[in-house]
Amino acid sequence: MTKNVVRRSCGWARLPGRAVLLVGLLGVLLRTGFAADTPKPDPAGIATGDKTTAVDAGGNAFAVPEPTDKTAPDYAKNKKDFDEYQAQAAREPLAAKLADSVGHIRIATNFAWTLNTGYLVLFMQAGFALLTCGLVRKKNAAHLMMLNFAAYVFAFLAYYAVGYAFQFGAVAVNAAPGNLGGTPTLNHFLIGSGQWGFLGGNGFFLSGPAYDAGSNCLMLFEVVFMETAGYIIVGSICERINFWGFLLCELFIGAILYPVFGCWVWGGGWLSQVGATLNLGHGYVDFAGSTVVHAVGGFTAMALAVILGPRLGKYGKDGKPRAFPAHNLVYVVTGTFILLFGWMGFNPGSTLGATDLRISVIAVNTNLAAVAGSATALFFWYVLFGKPDVTMACNGMLAGLVAITAPCAFVSPTSAVVIGTLAGLLVCGGVLFNERVSKIDDPCGAISVHGFCGWLGAVCVGIFADGTYGSGWNGIGAATYLGHAGQGVTGLLHGDTRQFFCQLGGATLCAIWAFGATFVVFSIVNKIKSMRVPPEVEREGLDIPEFGMSAYPEDAVVTID
Amino acid sequence: MKRIDSIIRPQNLDAVKENLAAIGVQALTVTEVRGFGRQKGHTEVYRGTEYAVDFVPKIMLTIISSDDRAKEIVDAIVAGARTGKMGDGKIFVSPLDEVVRIRTGEHGDAAV
Repeated sequence: MTKNVVRRSCGWARLPGRAVLLVGLLGVLLRTGFAADTPKPDPAGIATGDKTTAVDAGGNAFAVPEPTDKTAPDYAKNKKDFDEYQAQAAREPLAAKLADSVGHIRIATNFAWTLNTGYLVLFMQAGFALLTCGLVRKKNAAHLMMLNFAAYVFAFLAYYAVGYAFQFGAVAVNAAPGNLGGTPTLNHFLIGSGQWGFLGGNGFFLSGPAYDAGSNCLMLFEVVFMETAGYIIVGSICERINFWGFLLCELFIGAILYPVFGCWVWGGGWLSQVGATLNLGHGYVDFAGSTVVHAVGGFTAMALAVILGPRLGKYGKDGKPRAFPAHNLVYVVTGTFILLFGWMGFNPGSTLGATDLRISVIAVNTNLAAVAGSATALFFWYVLFGKPDVTMACNGMLAGLVAITAPCAFVSPTSAVVIGTLAGLLVCGGVLFNERVSKIDDPCGAISVHGFCGWLGAVCVGIFADGTYGSGWNGIGAATYLGHAGQGVTGLLHGDTRQFFCQLGGATLCAIWAFGATFVVFSIVNKIKSMRVPPEVEREGLDIPEFGMSAYPEDAVVTID
Repeated sequence: MKRIDSIIRPQNLDAVKENLAAIGVQALTVTEVRGFGRQKGHTEVYRGTEYAVDFVPKIMLTIISSDDRAKEIVDAIVAGARTGKMGDGKIFVSPLDEVVRIRTGEHGDAAV
């Protein structure tokens, strides 16, 4: 059977190869030069972090900046503070020098934090690979592993080439990461400007303005988040997508789909600024990416699953679903634990700094939502079907994790338990809905876990955020918010209705963007050339026809010299 | 010569092996098989969808014996494998044309 499958050497690479070339040319054309007064990149990291980045626990800077706006109401006070600081600095020059060192060490601490939590998120790749591999049939195990592996490889390259520049090329305009030194060279929008930015434009191929220590630190952290969105789709499209089609999906996610919405929310783009521009609370808030990462992945997965259609034999002639039981529950559970562990980097890491001590609350909230989600799903399934389903227990935990990802920094531990519980219920409902009603074949439940619960997570920010953290978020209300000094991001239950509607709108926009853009682009691709393997390949299993090797080759017939 | 194939529950393999050793049976082959008879399978639920677990795991023992020993071997197997519940298994005794010991080239009863 396999002898009849023609080995099209690198035939699968032609289409994505052309895509990369085109994108590369685009990147070269768009590179901008330096003007004399623009910030200089710091590739060696020797000019990042000084007394201006030395702050106390409350975020108050050691070095008082000179007030420039003479018309501001508190100009007189600020000028007095500045003059006093100048006088003290003149009397104690050693203290000022020490402050330079302290400021540098703060940035260094945060670099170490951000990079290491980024490595934890990288490790989640292994977790997801194990999880999804275990959930599918044995004949597709190598295919699942290869999808997860190639996802990392190719999406990374697309993000390096253009994705990072699109997402963060203008981050310094509205959302400079102060914990990492501010990345001042990433300050140019390709599309849009000011508080209406749509696409960043500095740092293609990580060169020029992005060849900077702070920028690279940010890039490492953000690329592994993009990778998370990239591998989520594997959970829904596996067991029937062909390899070149999959590579195109990954290039698309890394280059365009993820960075666009990511720019709008995290890159200082328009969606983060609607607090100022449209008076919608603190603007759209998504702390670690319930929507930016997970809903993008989940709704992209949904669009692709709709285009591909269900697996052969999944639905009988009467339309009733058939079960394809997991081939290795050991992988499923181990993979889930690895994801949980990696999430300790995903959520707390999103402060981009260990100097932000909210990291402890974030870590606890993350775990609470995880276990609440799992317990809820387990119990609910037991009530419904009489036995606790191992895979749903795992999906329940992941649902809780996805849902807490946006609100983790802004809610109390009890709220985290509630959010996890809601996610546990939603994922169970979602799995049953897709299986029986919408008939969208989702082998690993990725649409329910990441799509639906990601949307829920962002909305939960607008419900449960209690104002104890996030003062000045997206540039709103640094002095006072809702009449209180130091009030942070707040939700419906604590008196902020506008934030709730902002979250509702932004999360829904995310779903529409991810589903819509993917559906349009890949409907066209699929019409040109089918992204699905032929039926005889699907029946045999994709391991040998697609990759020429089996995940578990029988060792019975071996000749030994 | 007879070929005795027995399909038994996996958990009774040890008891059967002991009984056979007690009557001096020195050689047997074991295969892991799946099947169903009157015991039938049952349905389970995976992620909300019912599926049939038709095939029950069993052990198949294959023993070669001379004609005169076949009955005592069958009795020994039955004694070790019977629980009285459905699913105990079956024993098939069939005539054997030829047995060869590869190492020495012996044929027939000498090779059993």
